[in-house]
Amino acid sequence: MPTTESILKVSNIETYYGPIMAIRGVSFEVPQGGIVAILGANGAGKTTVLKTVSGVMDPQKGSIVFEGREIQRMDPDKVMRLGISHVPEGREVFPFLSVRENLRMGAFTRHDPDGVAQDLDTVFGYFPVLRERAEQRAGSLSGGEQQMLSISRALMARPRLMLLDEPSLGLSPKLVRDIFEIVQRINRELGVTILLVEQNAHMALKTADYGYVLEVGRIVMADSCERLLQKEDIREFYLGIKEQGARGKRRWKKRKTWR
Amino acid sequence: MDGMAGQTAMTGSTERIEIEGCDTIPKLFWRQVQARDGRTAFREKDLGIWRATSWRDYGERARATGMGLIKLGLERGQVVSILAETIPEWLYADMGTMGAGGVSNGIYPTDAAKQVEYILNDSRSRFLFVEDEEQLDKFLQVRERCPQVQKVFVFDMEGLADFKDPQVMPFDELLALGRAHQEAHPGLWEERIAASRAEELGLLVYTSGTTGPPKGAMLSHRNVIFQLCNADAFLPMRSDDEQLAFLPLCHVAERTFTAFLPLRSGAIANFAESVETIAENIREVAPTSFFAVPRIWERFYSSIAIRMKEATWIGRKAYQWAVGVGLKVAETELEGRSPSPVLRFMHRVADFVVLDNIKRAIGMHRVRFAGTGAAPIAPDLIKWYRALGVDMRELYGQTENCGLATSMPDRIKLGTVGVTAPHTELTISPEGEILLKGPHVFMGYLNQPEKTAETLRDGWLHTGDVGFIDNEGYVKITDRMKDIIITAGGKNITPSEIENQLKFSPYISDAVVIGDRRKFLSCLIMIDYDSVAKHAQDHNVPFTDFASLCRTREVQDLIWSEIERVNQNFARVETVKKFRLIEQQLTAEDDEVTPTMKLKRKFVNEKYKPMIDGMYAEAG
Repeated sequence: MPTTESILKVSNIETYYGPIMAIRGVSFEVPQGGIVAILGANGAGKTTVLKTVSGVMDPQKGSIVFEGREIQRMDPDKVMRLGISHVPEGREVFPFLSVRENLRMGAFTRHDPDGVAQDLDTVFGYFPVLRERAEQRAGSLSGGEQQMLSISRALMARPRLMLLDEPSLGLSPKLVRDIFEIVQRINRELGVTILLVEQNAHMALKTADYGYVLEVGRIVMADSCERLLQKEDIREFYLGIKEQGARGKRRWKKRKTWR
Repeated sequence: MDGMAGQTAMTGSTERIEIEGCDTIPKLFWRQVQARDGRTAFREKDLGIWRATSWRDYGERARATGMGLIKLGLERGQVVSILAETIPEWLYADMGTMGAGGVSNGIYPTDAAKQVEYILNDSRSRFLFVEDEEQLDKFLQVRERCPQVQKVFVFDMEGLADFKDPQVMPFDELLALGRAHQEAHPGLWEERIAASRAEELGLLVYTSGTTGPPKGAMLSHRNVIFQLCNADAFLPMRSDDEQLAFLPLCHVAERTFTAFLPLRSGAIANFAESVETIAENIREVAPTSFFAVPRIWERFYSSIAIRMKEATWIGRKAYQWAVGVGLKVAETELEGRSPSPVLRFMHRVADFVVLDNIKRAIGMHRVRFAGTGAAPIAPDLIKWYRALGVDMRELYGQTENCGLATSMPDRIKLGTVGVTAPHTELTISPEGEILLKGPHVFMGYLNQPEKTAETLRDGWLHTGDVGFIDNEGYVKITDRMKDIIITAGGKNITPSEIENQLKFSPYISDAVVIGDRRKFLSCLIMIDYDSVAKHAQDHNVPFTDFASLCRTREVQDLIWSEIERVNQNFARVETVKKFRLIEQQLTAEDDEVTPTMKLKRKFVNEKYKPMIDGMYAEAG
């Protein structure tokens, strides 16, 4: 478990979709100023974890402590005002608003026009292409540009913790690399702590400091990314590296042991 | 080239043992195939539907398998190995091999390639059946070092469509080959079966060696037929019995129960889909005759115990009341008295309101015979099942005596394994070891004359178990001889008694008590992940992975309270003073456990030596 002081501490949360228990008792911590990744396959509950943190969904059980304050079951806008921005899966930009209007939406809680103008400059600095397309409708942007816009919009609220849901979804490998690089820069330069959910384990593990593996609503592995990269199960099931079998290829899967 | 010539050791007296005129497995098999014809032999679940196979089809496929092997050159006494989970094809290969005059040998599907190599070579297997790609890969890894293996047959070719290898043949091709050979040589199969002799080696069963490499126990047809003759002594057989096949067929208990017993009884074996679906499959099948190892019975109990913790207040009270009534009935019956009419009436009500539902939840509502064996079990667990109304009986035996040495008669004595099987002898050596004699005693260990001589002396099988016979002829097993702990204080302690009580806890999956030549007893514990994780979650104890769960204060306290509860039942010197948790979730592939997930005492003692030494060091 991370040793530095935690900005976010999640304990024993259980979240349901109707009668179905999607998160079956999950606990983890995010250290101040760090990047933490949650890995997992489809349906493991990664997105649900983020939604539970940001207040979009309410846990039936457990606690979420952000900067020493319990935030579980709070309304999403209140959570956002406390300093947590959520970049949802699939971008979710406002398609009929312009890029600039989208970014202003990200700052709707703020009352310091000077600061907002300054931050607008900052995000344009990270993503120059958004400045070029500032007056264009967001719906007409490419997937990669929309992802950039979505991250920028989250930044406009000046969050201390950013929740990133699958930023690599549907993007080309080159774009994925670019975006992750910028995420790292944002973390370093702006001091924003990042909780990242990813299926692209390779990118996530290279970007983050610490990782958790989520399987069917439960955490099965927790370690530094450096060590996770060495684990046999991570290599086989998440990075697709298999030792050579007797016939040169091995199609069947070993049982996962998570050690 | 008779592979087994000269290996035949003594098998007791020579009096003829037979069932319906048949004195070997293939003779009995083929007779029943003719007699039962279109009746259902077994079922397997295919794409969600239970599909039946008739005795006619079972026979035809076994014959095609056997004829294929003959065509490829299998000779009398040569060994054929089977490396697969518990599936119907296992039986085709088994009966096909024995019908063709070969010796059938099972290999655990959880064995690593290295172990597969050892067993193939030790048994000098000429042919090998493998389940699928995964098992095939094990052979391909070691084939250079197994030159005597001529061909490998694959039951399931999925993923191997473009794989071509002269040594590897799809099972379907073998069947086609066998059918063609049958056409060309009608009567050959029957000839081979008629040539089988009772004293001949029929099958090899490798015993998982907790010390040294596994040993191949040689069982004759006579051993098996004798046990089938004895079967009604311990189990009320009916031809419409429904069984569930799910334990490894390489194990003598499952082999006898699933492959051999139906040859006599006509019971229908239902093959579980997979290890993960056992609980569900049992509910679907609702077996009338069911044998399982203690681990399975413990798991059923845990699932109910955990569910009851979640139940409403009323539900919990009803459960406590009903099980209380059941226990009273069970205890009265165990004392040999019959319950009073009032108690019997209350039991009816309890059954109607609660107990029947519990039995349904674990698929035990139709069961007439519920057997446990192959490992020791806590008497309290048997009592719980009896309280439900499940007539659970403990059996005792080992591979070397083809499975059954004692069984529980109708008058049950808890804590004992019942009385000696008919037509066999059981005695206690001066050292306290249990000795067996009779037609059920095996032929010896393959290639191990010294080990055989150690185990078989003057026709007495030395079981390695310590125990005694009480004044009514009931046998009580105290422990494995080599497992007995002598503490530094000189006190003899039988660890398995303590371990069995620990395992009765829903939070403890297995335990190994340590203390030989030490100042006090300690133990290593493998937790039951699901119930411990649930406990942690219920008590808001944060954890991430398995190790972090083990390390939480609350889990340590929980396990310690379970140990203290058990400690109350033992004298002071016999109490466990310290413990450690095994911080890794073990799977059947791990060396620490047997294929049936029992911790291996010796291995665990070695592997966790630093941890164990730590417990004694800090005590000072």
